[in-house]
Amino acid sequence: MNVLILDGGPRDVRGAACRKIAAAAAAEARLKGHAVTAFELDALDIKPCRGCFACWLKHPGTCAIKDDQEQVLRAMAAGDLLVWITPLTFGGYSPVLKRSLDRSIPNILPFFTVRHAEVHHPPRYKKRLGLIVLGTLPAADPEAERIFHELVGRNALNLDSVLTESRVVHDGEEGGIAGRLKGLLQAAEAAI
Amino acid sequence: MKALLIVGSPKGKASTSYNLGRGLLGRLETGGMEVVETTVAAALRSSEERHRLYRAVDEADVIIVSFPLYVDQLPAPLIQALELLADRKRGAQGATPWAGPIAQRLVAIVQCGFPETLQTRPAVSIMRQFARETGFQWAGALALGMGGAVGRRSLEKAGGMLRNVVKALDAAAASLLSGGLVPEEAEALAAKPLMSRRLYGLVANWGFRSRLRKHGARKRAFDRPYAASGKGR
Repeated sequence: MNVLILDGGPRDVRGAACRKIAAAAAAEARLKGHAVTAFELDALDIKPCRGCFACWLKHPGTCAIKDDQEQVLRAMAAGDLLVWITPLTFGGYSPVLKRSLDRSIPNILPFFTVRHAEVHHPPRYKKRLGLIVLGTLPAADPEAERIFHELVGRNALNLDSVLTESRVVHDGEEGGIAGRLKGLLQAAEAAI
Repeated sequence: MKALLIVGSPKGKASTSYNLGRGLLGRLETGGMEVVETTVAAALRSSEERHRLYRAVDEADVIIVSFPLYVDQLPAPLIQALELLADRKRGAQGATPWAGPIAQRLVAIVQCGFPETLQTRPAVSIMRQFARETGFQWAGALALGMGGAVGRRSLEKAGGMLRNVVKALDAAAASLLSGGLVPEEAEALAAKPLMSRRLYGLVANWGFRSRLRKHGARKRAFDRPYAASGKGR
């Protein structure tokens, strides 16, 4: 399985928990013999999406902006299991992770298709795909966590993921993440 | 009273988000409010622009954030702008403490290209959570699907198709002008489909094909440049 890990935490102290989780996820996946590609997104030069849709309509599949997102897009296309790590930001994702996700639309097709009774875009690269999203939060916040899980669910619908997991890790819980990741990876291996 | 429109689309004033946001702002202006508008792209351009945004937010009684749905939620630059506003309001990271009035009402306008308004739900929840975490008064959201059918066309001249959007803007503006929130009736009107889902899908797919053809890319529509085997379908 190709495992792609996107660490969406900021490079400063606020991203420390994300870095720990990303390292644990990479180690656990490698231990199980999977190929791992990992990006610390805040260390890359990824500009915001301009909303030009050139990636759909002018040069399908490639973005008009030439920067580090191209290597992320390539890894996304090859990935079987996507692992996103982010500080919860008003219940959603960090701007760092979101900047890369906004720029991931070259990997889907413009056309509409109906899936699960809703309209979505078909993937450009057809494959069985799993999605695990791990969010960090200093302390429990039920509403922020509800939003986060709902958002991951919607992302999964759009990605047509065959396995979707979302977990929130509070401050001080990072140490136990390896055990939880082991279970998540096993579930992914079975589903993908 | 002052109203501020923040446009969260990367296309700025050439966007559906601006069209809808300006629709609400214009009604507030007609009703006697002083209005100001800015874009997230401008606010993030420099430290000076960022401080201009802070000042505009400080002075506003009603803040309207209008944006398109990007990958199921807010576009990244808008999240970044909200983080800056939140940091400032919390006085975090050496930021200047918040100087704004107490009961500032926050309104979201969210539109997505999918026909189902429900796909905007996480985005609306995130905006509400932002208000909760920062102490703004959540005043509600006008959320709509089929945003592609709105575009930059005149809301008033578009006729029947946008009649519910126009009614929603009218009702929202009337309530905000009298110190209230966006009424549930306005939220429900905005959420109504602009046309049948089938028709919207047909028109959208025809539009994609037509624009691909215009750019000479119709035969490359399904290209997979990052597939292991290179190009091909």
